[in-house]
Amino acid sequence: MAQSNPPFMSGVPELLLLRLLDQSEMYGYELVRSIRAATGEAISLGEGVIYPVLHSLERNGSLKSKRKAVSGRTRVYYSLTGKGRQRLGKLQDDWRRIQGGIANALEVPSHA
Amino acid sequence: MHELDLSRLQSELLRSGVAPRHVRRTVDELNDHYEDLVEQALSEGLDNRSARCGAMARLGEVEDIAQAVRAQPELRSWAFRFPRVAAVVYPLTFVMLLPAAPVFIGAAHANYLARWAVCLFLSGVVTAAMFLMLQMAITLT
Repeated sequence: MAQSNPPFMSGVPELLLLRLLDQSEMYGYELVRSIRAATGEAISLGEGVIYPVLHSLERNGSLKSKRKAVSGRTRVYYSLTGKGRQRLGKLQDDWRRIQGGIANALEVPSHA
Repeated sequence: MHELDLSRLQSELLRSGVAPRHVRRTVDELNDHYEDLVEQALSEGLDNRSARCGAMARLGEVEDIAQAVRAQPELRSWAFRFPRVAAVVYPLTFVMLLPAAPVFIGAAHANYLARWAVCLFLSGVVTAAMFLMLQMAITLT
């Protein structure tokens, strides 16, 4: 049975956040900078929209957060949990499948 | 306007049923993010006004942020996620707590209650003294 495709862009911030947090724990502003650097600024989004995604991922157990005092300010650092790693694996598989499908479609000559 | 004002976002999210703790946290983190953006822009040589304008633009429109929060149903308060359960639990809790309300209110306003009790006692003493004097006056005449 063919797997259903998740919406094209709706899972992208989630995938990127999980991927980056798999490497090291980060706070919101740091994450946005890392997304910009990692995607070569190809993905632009209002920076404020990552917080609801982070909170939702934390709520469903994919992330955990802790507050740290850094140079006089309290920052919320996020890190990946075991469940988050599983979710990342699934999202990466989904993304590769879609990417492969689109690449195939683009290689097929269009009929007039 | 060159200052970040998230009060509209805050009230919009609360109206949409987002749990107050998530609203507070979102606003706090957005404020921190904004300060980081301003700091970075200032360090790159921008003047204060341009730095703040740029930071607000990068943070995004309040409506877009509100929409992103509303798109996460997990962030809603349980009463909005399970309205039927809330319709049963809230009235029941209210009815159960109602008899205890005077105790809670009394405990919360213990100093007023103590003053009120002292006043009641003193007025009782004064009234009793007046009755006593009246009785003595009647007896002696």
